[in-house]
Amino acid sequence: MLKKTIGWTYAALVLLFLYAPILVLMALSFNASKYNALPFTFSLSWYKALAADTTLIRASLTSLSIAAGTAIICVVLAAMLMLWAVQTTSKLKGWIDALVVLPLTIPWLILGLSMLLLLSAAGIDKNFTVLLIGHVVVSLPYAVLVIKARLQSMDLSINEASASLGANEWTTVRRITLPLLFPAMLAGGFLAFVISFDNFILSYFLIPSGSSTLPIEIYASIKFGFTPEINAASTLLLAATTLMILLIVVIMRSSLKFFLK
Amino acid sequence: MDKKIWLMSPAVILLLCFCVVPLFIMVYYSLLSDGTRGHLTLQNYADFFEKRIYLKLTWKTIRISCCVTLISLLISYPMAYVMVNLIHSGKNLLLLAIIIPFWTSQLVRAYAWQNLLREGGILDIMLRKLHLIGSEPLGLLFTPYAVIIAMVHIFFPYMVITIYLSLEKVDIALVEASKSLQAGPLTTFRRVVLPLSKPGIVTGCILVFVPSLGVFVEPRILGGTEGSVIGMVIEDQFFEIYGWNFGAAVSFILLAIILLSMAVLSRLAKKEA
Repeated sequence: MLKKTIGWTYAALVLLFLYAPILVLMALSFNASKYNALPFTFSLSWYKALAADTTLIRASLTSLSIAAGTAIICVVLAAMLMLWAVQTTSKLKGWIDALVVLPLTIPWLILGLSMLLLLSAAGIDKNFTVLLIGHVVVSLPYAVLVIKARLQSMDLSINEASASLGANEWTTVRRITLPLLFPAMLAGGFLAFVISFDNFILSYFLIPSGSSTLPIEIYASIKFGFTPEINAASTLLLAATTLMILLIVVIMRSSLKFFLK
Repeated sequence: MDKKIWLMSPAVILLLCFCVVPLFIMVYYSLLSDGTRGHLTLQNYADFFEKRIYLKLTWKTIRISCCVTLISLLISYPMAYVMVNLIHSGKNLLLLAIIIPFWTSQLVRAYAWQNLLREGGILDIMLRKLHLIGSEPLGLLFTPYAVIIAMVHIFFPYMVITIYLSLEKVDIALVEASKSLQAGPLTTFRRVVLPLSKPGIVTGCILVFVPSLGVFVEPRILGGTEGSVIGMVIEDQFFEIYGWNFGAAVSFILLAIILLSMAVLSRLAKKEA
């Protein structure tokens, strides 16, 4: 009993450290003071200001569309790759596994600027296609890992069963493999969405001039002058991400392991 | 089978063209004397090693990353231990509670710490009300400590999860066996549990140490002049000074340090396993 109490106390302290800054930020977004000063007076004025701020809204829409595009492309590419991986006996497989996790080992700072250098070497201006590709490159490993985790826990002999019942390969993929993979594809897609939507560094390096995303706007206002609207924007961002993560966990309840890099 | 190669080629071509090729271009740029033209030279690397400031910043980055890794380990091991051994009922919930902030914006979390730590910020006010500090301000913001605190906050969940996974695999029969051989709890922990969880510790250290080396946002927001790191030099070279060639050289050096530390740490894991 004593052990349990000590255990919960320690866990509570760690969670306090983890959640206190986030919760304080969220609380401050409802505070009337312009300088985050106490005492706390409830007010929705920063959310109202946020709703009227067309720059922030436009940036959020850009973030949303890039994240949606990234999610769709990542899921399609990852699913295709994994369908190949389960069937192949090719020696290339080890190399391709390494290639897919490569973007996880290199800091996004270096990945982003190397893509910037690629653009300059090719003599192309920054554009949304390259920005989207950048987001896909850094989000793809996560989608692949989620789908892979699902494939590893699946009994692949049902594919053979399907074949022995006379289904051709395409029918098997369409009627057996894809439906079974669907939850993982959905979870992988949401994960890619979250990573892209939050991704500041890649966008910072590759965004065409004159455009911005929500994280870029947040960074700019932290760096160049304080606006309390950012508390409101950050709170919305945190809340949206949290909801998405809960959704992914519900979809992939069977295994939490894919959350590991 | 290889008829199906079209299934994997889009992903592979994308990664080759936009992850591997750019890295080679970066190396090429780091060897150029001036912009996209110029002649091949090692001057950018020579500059890095000759100017003490860069070496000092690199060393500081490594030191900060070590601190972050060590503190994360000190927080995470007990947490993982508690989750596996002391609390059975709530451990999935705890795991979820640790995972959620882990996927939320790092930028926003660094900003949250700025809010907490700044002069006249919440922490300042609360500590003063509790009479834990006197009238002088806390003075934590814009120091390396602020950077370390925020980075621990951002990265330690990696460590908890990897150690948790390896502790969960420890066979309870071995612990029982150790007890039946008259080993005390401390001896059992030191000789049985700790060695068996070493792979988790090493993986956790890689997952915290490696990304710590490449940060620039947290020090920019929280570090001030005292808390600058090598990642900021790279950002400055690209966005403020337009010294792309030198920036590429520094990036490549940073990448080399990262790959080297990964190699050393994972060799450690293999030796112990």
